[in-house]
Amino acid sequence: MKSWTRREFSRLAGAALLTALNQPKARGQAKARVVVIGGGIGGATVARYLAASATAIEVTLVEPRQSYATCFFSNLYLAGLRPFESLSHGYEALAKQYGIIVVHESAAAIHPAAKTVALNNGSKLSYDRLVVAPGIAFRDRALEGYDEAAMEIMPHAWNAGQQTRLLRQQLESMEDGGLFVLVAPPNPFRCPPAPYERASLVASYFQRRKPKAKILILDAKDSFNAQDLFQDAWNRHYPGMIEWLPAQFTGGVTAIDAKTRSVITAGATFKAAVANVIPAQMAGRLAQQAGLANRSGWCPVDPVTFESALQPGVHLVGDAIIGGDMPKSAFCANSQAKACAFAIAADLTGSARFPAHLFNTCYTYLAPDDAFSNAISFKPVDGKLKSVISFVSKVEESSEVRRQAARAAEGWYDAFTHDVFG
Amino acid sequence: MRPVARSAIATGLVLLVSQSGAAAEADQGAQLAATCASCHRLDGGGTGIPSIIGLGEERLTNALLAYRASESSNHIMHAIALSLSDEEIASVARYVAKQGSNPR
Ligand SMILES: Cc1cc2nc3c(=O)[nH]c(=O)nc-3n(C[C@H](O)[C@H](O)[C@H](O)COP(=O)(O)OP(=O)(O)OC[C@H]3O[C@@H](n4cnc5c(N)ncnc54)[C@H](O)[C@@H]3O)c2cc1C
Ligand code: HEC
Repeated sequence: MKSWTRREFSRLAGAALLTALNQPKARGQAKARVVVIGGGIGGATVARYLAASATAIEVTLVEPRQSYATCFFSNLYLAGLRPFESLSHGYEALAKQYGIIVVHESAAAIHPAAKTVALNNGSKLSYDRLVVAPGIAFRDRALEGYDEAAMEIMPHAWNAGQQTRLLRQQLESMEDGGLFVLVAPPNPFRCPPAPYERASLVASYFQRRKPKAKILILDAKDSFNAQDLFQDAWNRHYPGMIEWLPAQFTGGVTAIDAKTRSVITAGATFKAAVANVIPAQMAGRLAQQAGLANRSGWCPVDPVTFESALQPGVHLVGDAIIGGDMPKSAFCANSQAKACAFAIAADLTGSARFPAHLFNTCYTYLAPDDAFSNAISFKPVDGKLKSVISFVSKVEESSEVRRQAARAAEGWYDAFTHDVFG
Repeated sequence: MRPVARSAIATGLVLLVSQSGAAAEADQGAQLAATCASCHRLDGGGTGIPSIIGLGEERLTNALLAYRASESSNHIMHAIALSLSDEEIASVARYVAKQGSNPR
């Protein structure tokens, strides 16, 4: 039998203390490994908060692109009110300040039984927990004739990047008096107010540069988010410029003809000078291939931990999930990501658990100096995410209040992107 | 050696309990402050939305209580504050007040 010395003992006691506070529960390795697939808003936030809250977790972020362009504020770029570069964010701070291992590759497949992820370059990553945040994909054959080639002629610009630049070029080279057709998608889709914000800001651009141009919105729905606020603003700022046709009026958009740049509805064909076609959506491809989505095309999750209801050990956040009352917004993705990161840290290191605070605020521009906002908090109730407190700007607000909101929105963009990308 | 060992264990346990108690408090503050960080930069920088760094615990607490009581000044902060209990307001105010100003 060995007799303990005081020094050895306190060293051991110290070690036990560290174990209890920080060490991964998994034995036989120095650190628990979390792999995060998708370095968009949801994925980057999970990686950052996991890395910041638990030194005993090794975080790897898998994202093919060298930099991320935000969809939010891309409508300001389309209106010529912001340079494209201002939407772009790199991963250097996440790697350097937070020690996250950033791998610029695409994930090709997930093997939940082996707990590995196969990357496109042929290599493999092992994980103790996996987080998947792939954003959205477009539904196959949602609109006849709208294929990859057609997207290069009639862009969707619903993932920010080359598509957004293409739409801006087309708007810039359009002649005054041209018709801009915007095809708005069916529910649920990424960012409910965004198609209508886009119409508003493109109208502000036309008003400045092409005052005879018209905007036609062909909607798959019969009503839309914050409709009263938008229609009030369209009458005030751009009288006669924007026309919105609900599905019950057109019978819905049935096909696209890229050769003639036309949008075909049940009853008519609309020939556009520039067309922005936003198709029906579902969870990103990887989620579909990995069996994380159900028949709805979206991913069911536990509303407290954001663990998949279909694959244990795999968590999902952001647009890909069935979020209950939570809309598909960057703010919600960021809010879910924090709750998910804290839940994973608690599981792997034994850190304390607290009730999560889930929230959404979207600042939406009606004109460059006229913005409105909403504020909603959510709670898990009976396995679903329910909204509990909800406020939204009102039609009769003063122009000073709206100007202030437009200024606050700028501050939000700065703080928010800082929160996500460091 | 036995008595020494036992007291070492006892010391270790006391340490463990008190450290994890304080750590849990700080953790709760940190997790709540993470929700603020979606709009307020916690390094003291930023424009358009007022900074909450350098305000002090009392001012933070009072501001949150006032936002919770009334929608009139700002519906966003009203909704945020309504979602916080008294204990959570105390905890987040204590945590945020400890963050130094270090604009990057
Ligand atoms: C025009 C417009 C305006 C918007 N305005 C707002 C706004 O004002 N406020 C707001 O809150 N939200 C806004 N949104 C919504 C917001 O952009 C999305 O809700 C948000 O980006 C969702 O985050 P996410 O992480 O789920 O997906 P994303 O941010 O799209 O990230 C997904 C990431 O996963 C990566 N990925 C996909 N597949 C793989 C794979 N196999 N391997 C590795 N990586 C992969 C992609 O490259 C991408 O980087 C707007 C959206 C649009 C289109
Ligand atoms: C959705 C965005 C958002 C979130 C999240 C948010 N705030 Fe705010 N906060 C604002 C805005 C906008 C204002 C300015 C309100 C006004 O004009 O009165 C503000 C103002 C404040 C003020 C007043 C500052 C001053 O100098 O008067 C305090 C204090 C504050 N927030 C604390 C917090 C705390 C603490 C949290 C987290 C629990 C938080 N906020 C979360 C948007 C936000």
